[in-house]
Amino acid sequence: MVGLSIGEKHFIEGGIAQNLRTDGRKRLVYRPIQIETGVIPQANGSARVRMGGTEVIASVKAELGRPSSLQPDKGKVFINVDCSPTAAPIFEGRGGEELSSELSGALQICLLGGKSGAGAGIDLSSLSIVGGKICWDLYIDGLVVSADGNLLDALGAAIKAALSNTAIPKVNVAAGASSDEQPEVDISDEEFLQFDTSAVPVIITLTKVGREYIVDATPEEESHMDSAISISVNRQRNLCGLTKRGSAGLDPSVILDMVSVGKHVSEELMNKLDSEIAAAEAREEE
Amino acid sequence: MREIESLPLNQTQKLRLEKALDQLDFLSAGANSNACVTVADTILVDHQDGLLKGHGTTDFDGELVATVCGVVERVNKLVYVRSLRARYKPEIGDIIVGRVIEVAPKRWRLEINFTQDAVLMLSSMTLHDGIQRRQTADDELNMRSIFVENDVICAEVRGFQHDGSLHLQARSQKYGKLEKGQLLTVPPYLVKRRKQHFHYLEKYNIDLIVGCNGFIWIGEHVETKDDMVEDQVTESEQQNASEDTHTPVEIRDKICRAANAVRVLCTLGFNITADVIMEIIELSNRIDIHDMLGAEFCVLVAESEVDRRRSSTKKK
Amino acid sequence: MEFVSPEGLRLDGRRPMEMRQLRAEIGIVSKADGSASFEMGNTKVIAAVYGPREVQNRSQQLNDQALVRCEYTMANFSTGDRRRKPKGDRRSTEISLVIRQTMEACIMTHLMPRSQIDIFVQVLQADGGTRSACINAATLALADAGIPMSDIVTSCSAGYLNSTPLLDLNYVEDSAGGPDVTVGILPRSTKVTLLQMDSKLPMDIFENVMQLATEGCKAVANYVHEVLLEKTKQLDKHRGV
Repeated sequence: MVGLSIGEKHFIEGGIAQNLRTDGRKRLVYRPIQIETGVIPQANGSARVRMGGTEVIASVKAELGRPSSLQPDKGKVFINVDCSPTAAPIFEGRGGEELSSELSGALQICLLGGKSGAGAGIDLSSLSIVGGKICWDLYIDGLVVSADGNLLDALGAAIKAALSNTAIPKVNVAAGASSDEQPEVDISDEEFLQFDTSAVPVIITLTKVGREYIVDATPEEESHMDSAISISVNRQRNLCGLTKRGSAGLDPSVILDMVSVGKHVSEELMNKLDSEIAAAEAREEE
Repeated sequence: MREIESLPLNQTQKLRLEKALDQLDFLSAGANSNACVTVADTILVDHQDGLLKGHGTTDFDGELVATVCGVVERVNKLVYVRSLRARYKPEIGDIIVGRVIEVAPKRWRLEINFTQDAVLMLSSMTLHDGIQRRQTADDELNMRSIFVENDVICAEVRGFQHDGSLHLQARSQKYGKLEKGQLLTVPPYLVKRRKQHFHYLEKYNIDLIVGCNGFIWIGEHVETKDDMVEDQVTESEQQNASEDTHTPVEIRDKICRAANAVRVLCTLGFNITADVIMEIIELSNRIDIHDMLGAEFCVLVAESEVDRRRSSTKKK
Repeated sequence: MEFVSPEGLRLDGRRPMEMRQLRAEIGIVSKADGSASFEMGNTKVIAAVYGPREVQNRSQQLNDQALVRCEYTMANFSTGDRRRKPKGDRRSTEISLVIRQTMEACIMTHLMPRSQIDIFVQVLQADGGTRSACINAATLALADAGIPMSDIVTSCSAGYLNSTPLLDLNYVEDSAGGPDVTVGILPRSTKVTLLQMDSKLPMDIFENVMQLATEGCKAVANYVHEVLLEKTKQLDKHRGV
């Protein structure tokens, strides 16, 4: 990533210790967040999120599919992230794959819950149409257009915004089909169902530098981190997922402390995102 | 850096910013209006006298055509296009700030926002003892004790060598490694060549180096070392000393303010000089440092820039 | 299927010779040397240029000119039906090559020996004419990066359906199976640098269709010129003296 000299690293670390980061932020302050919804008209829902120089796009596409035999009355959600080479030349060719899969994995953990789908931010049973036969498959795609640090939080915010922008067509199932056949369905062009996004969590990444933790780290700060913890927290202040990144080991008590700090920050971020999403939706309708 | 379009302005701020920018348009009108060209535009010239075709121009069917977007400049018989957004174009004697990419035999390679990495030869350096002398094999082995990869250093452009590579030199104590501060990069067209690129802002006790290549260093003030350098201090001791002492909060505050001033200027696309940076630091005195990157402060800076340019045109 | 109604209107309400709405924005990727987005109707692409900079792989270094590289990628959500495609499939490789060759023709590479220029184009939405949109975006991004070029390149496509030449095909028209002629020109010298056609077409009609596409390129060139001039004026005025 970014190469920094010892002097610069030391300066950044000192700033974090003194609660004054290089761009003047305090440790737990985010850069301004801007949200735009409906940027990809071909998708069922989409959003673009800017955080400082970071820009990501998330889109949601719904397709009809068959539920898996293990969970016949639940839909499926797939999350995939790509890093565009426009963001940095190192993402050229297969160069972005490692980061892409790391981000996809972290998002899956943070948003989708366990294998059974329990505890997911997205209510999977609402995606079911005919139990065991037909359900909606949601394809959530993230794209990193410009990278300036804290990609995971930005992607999490973009997905949240895209989901609340999502309209899924209403499906009418033809009645009277026998139970072995695949029922016939009729997808409405006019009636859409809004998605319930109240349970979708926000993602907060706390980066540990020295003894302190910071949110919304810039690439310079990220290059200097020992380790980072990403947690996702929903409205009910429940922890929905947690991943640890970076190689340095953490003391369990430190992890607990980081989680509680993250939970505290989450409330502010959640309110901020909700109001930004509402404003973006209002602008789009204009 | 961010563009003006992406600022979250509210309605009044938008109007104020537009007004300020319109006034800037008005103030600069007449100076060189209509001199802007884009790629493949014809440049109007008299073909009477021997014309010198400069940078950014080419000959096309007897017409002079621009090859970059920029402003047409005419100096006697020379016609060239001064490009705006582009990589750095070195001139001999320029003061630049760069980052070490590689330590190679007898030389360092530096990233300086040029089309190639620049080269700083060990022989173009004044070493710690400050004596002009031949470099020995020992010096070559000790190169890593001077600069290592990723170090930020300040140097002067020496010129192009026969093989087309760009060479730097650092034959004075004022050049060398920069520590305890932050490096910012801006498009080089925002930095004008001046007599002075090193600034010691005494009031704030910070150093500001505005490199011609658009790399700007802002850091804690360091006294230019005496020629009798403390050679005895070993590497590890220096390391320890620097780890104990963080930059004092008051100085860090000013460094961050200066850095954010540069960021705002870059967003607005205004010329970057030490004077303007100082003005903006003063302007920011009453607000929180991070709010300097917000929309309101950006509009304030644009408005104060209008006043500044207006008064400077009056003086003329 | 009827692509041109008896009243002479196309499926999206355009006239046969009408181009879709153009929209361009310069400077959208903060870290790139030059960047731009270009929209033709619903087709939207972004281009970022990195360089000229030191050649990353020394063995590729050219001693008398710059090395130009290009990569074309499509976002998963860019097409109507979502498909997961591996990176670097044949179609992307082919388009990358086309864009590289087209842009290389106008970049004055001999002025930047031993350096490397990377052009990355990313398709956000594909609705026909992505090739053309990519070339137009790349032109803007290169100009934004201040890279000397002997001319700009602009591109536009045209087709032939229901015995009518149609300018700037959208996805539905493009997939109708008719011919699709993509033309790229150097507007100053009015030379053609890119010409591709699939399907078949009688010679005299081809001439008409190509003429139409060339006219489209000129219209794009006017727009690109306007955008660049406005940006240049803005940069110069803000900077001050």
